[in-house]
Amino acid sequence: MELKGQVWKFGKDVDTDELFAGRFIMGGDETSQSQYQEFIARSGLSDVGHRENIPRDFLTKVAKGDIIVAEENFGIGSSRQQAAETLKFKGVQAVVADSIHRIFFRNFWNLGCPAIDLPGISAEFETGHEIVINLRQGTIKNLNTGKEFEFHLIIPAWFIDMVEAGGLIPYHKSLQNVEGKNKSAK
Amino acid sequence: MTLVEKILAKKAGRKVVRPDEIVEVSVDLAMIHDALGAHTIAKFRELGIEKVWDPTRIVVVLDHYVPNKDIDTAKKCLNIKKFVIEQGIENYYEVGKGGIAHQVLVEKGHVLPGTTLVGVDSHTTTSGVVGAFATGIGVDEMAVVFKTGRLWERVPGTIRINVEGKLVPPIMSKDLMLFILKRLGVSGALFKSLQYTGSTISQMSIAGRMVLTNMAIESGATNGIIEPDQKLVDFLRARTDHSLEVIQSDRDAEYAETLEFQADDIKEPMVAVPPKPSNAVGVTEVEGTRIDQAFIGSCTNGRLEDLRIAAGILKGRKADKFTKVIVIPASQEVLKAALAEGLIAIFVEAGAVVGPPTCGPCMEAHMGILGPGEVCISTANRNFQGRVGDVTAKIYLASPATVAASALKGEISDPREFFREA
Repeated sequence: MELKGQVWKFGKDVDTDELFAGRFIMGGDETSQSQYQEFIARSGLSDVGHRENIPRDFLTKVAKGDIIVAEENFGIGSSRQQAAETLKFKGVQAVVADSIHRIFFRNFWNLGCPAIDLPGISAEFETGHEIVINLRQGTIKNLNTGKEFEFHLIIPAWFIDMVEAGGLIPYHKSLQNVEGKNKSAK
Repeated sequence: MTLVEKILAKKAGRKVVRPDEIVEVSVDLAMIHDALGAHTIAKFRELGIEKVWDPTRIVVVLDHYVPNKDIDTAKKCLNIKKFVIEQGIENYYEVGKGGIAHQVLVEKGHVLPGTTLVGVDSHTTTSGVVGAFATGIGVDEMAVVFKTGRLWERVPGTIRINVEGKLVPPIMSKDLMLFILKRLGVSGALFKSLQYTGSTISQMSIAGRMVLTNMAIESGATNGIIEPDQKLVDFLRARTDHSLEVIQSDRDAEYAETLEFQADDIKEPMVAVPPKPSNAVGVTEVEGTRIDQAFIGSCTNGRLEDLRIAAGILKGRKADKFTKVIVIPASQEVLKAALAEGLIAIFVEAGAVVGPPTCGPCMEAHMGILGPGEVCISTANRNFQGRVGDVTAKIYLASPATVAASALKGEISDPREFFREA
């Protein structure tokens, strides 16, 4: 599975309050997927102009398929899944960082979006670079510098299948379908 | 193996587990609250499953928006209540019956030593105080836990935080935790577990220990944990009829690292300067900083001993004319005890507003939200930029003693000036 995109370079310690402010947590109708997605996409990174670790034009210029490359400790803080969702719904398809906080790491993967931690990787990218990630091979390439890097993720064996299924919920639904068919075959 | 490794091995049905291995464990207890409960339920419905794996293993606590503040919060709480009734979940804490989830889980004896707990909240780590593996997850994952009762985990290597010596009041466990975070930083324990040991921890009350496990997450840790001792067993015996299976780390357990601390090295009360919980300095470095709000409460520091020390400082005194002082007990049980001891009257006399047990201005949920440029000194756990209201507001973290002293002067103040031994 190969992911290719334009890089947005973020700084260190990007926290979940920064990604999705607490005041929006109860907003959004979770029973209506389209309304919810629109709300979450719109409400995220609301204070970005005040932050030093996120580029100021990220909100206005982020496009579908973009990839964030961040310094250490990406996603520190809350378990609010909206912090991961807002990035996905704004178009970000993957996050690569020197290190990633556990809950954000899980949440982003669960949405079907890879979160890849590789110490030192942030120094190899700038905003606007083109990046290619090969998930099964475990490689990251910077198309601008031509340099390639290897990563070794500590994830369950089924994780990449899950990403291919579109995330944790669709993956579990597909498992149920298989189980259901097996049962009816008997 | 360390305590956390032994719990994960047992729950994975394995003899041995090693740090950074992926294991799948059974979940003994799962907690949702009002802030993310309705989302969890929507995801569970999306899975197309009718019944949760085990309603007796789910605890539902309404705590962020107590009582509901608007139509959105009321609607989501209604959805949660319907789900609770439909699924036959007994452990449900309605507004006015519980308090902050992390406090309720421990004080009502829900979490037992040697078990696993997940919650849709990063401060679920608090419950590690009973010697359980307790950690936070997102709503999609909780929906799957509701279906399967299982969770995958990367076994965290254990960082042992050993603390020796006696903390001298008004220096509290909060000061110790800020002191520890100063050394660990906000990413010093990513995918690791913090296990607190040593004579300082043994001497500490359960409430004091909860500050340490609560704020373990602030170092990036997966969880925080403390080995059960007699004090804990006595605490739990008063709260549950379940048999208690006490697990300790093996004598030859391998730690990823051991960090040694001396209580004596904490020369003065600590304050974490915005915007990180690890930015701890001695109170004298920031003494005199003007404040607009002083908040005593939260899952970190809203317990009876916290209210006692704050009341001791505020008793017979008046808070600064221009400072908003907010006191919020962590639970109904704490509120009841504080009422019985006369602490609530002291707060009201001093000019504080006392709120119902809820998360309050720890985050931007409900009540005590900060305006542009306002400065708050808070007993809560995070001071990220924009965490509680306007992005230009500033939050300093400190102990209940330091916050109470600051409330009196309207500026960050050293509690040693006002502290009286009870």
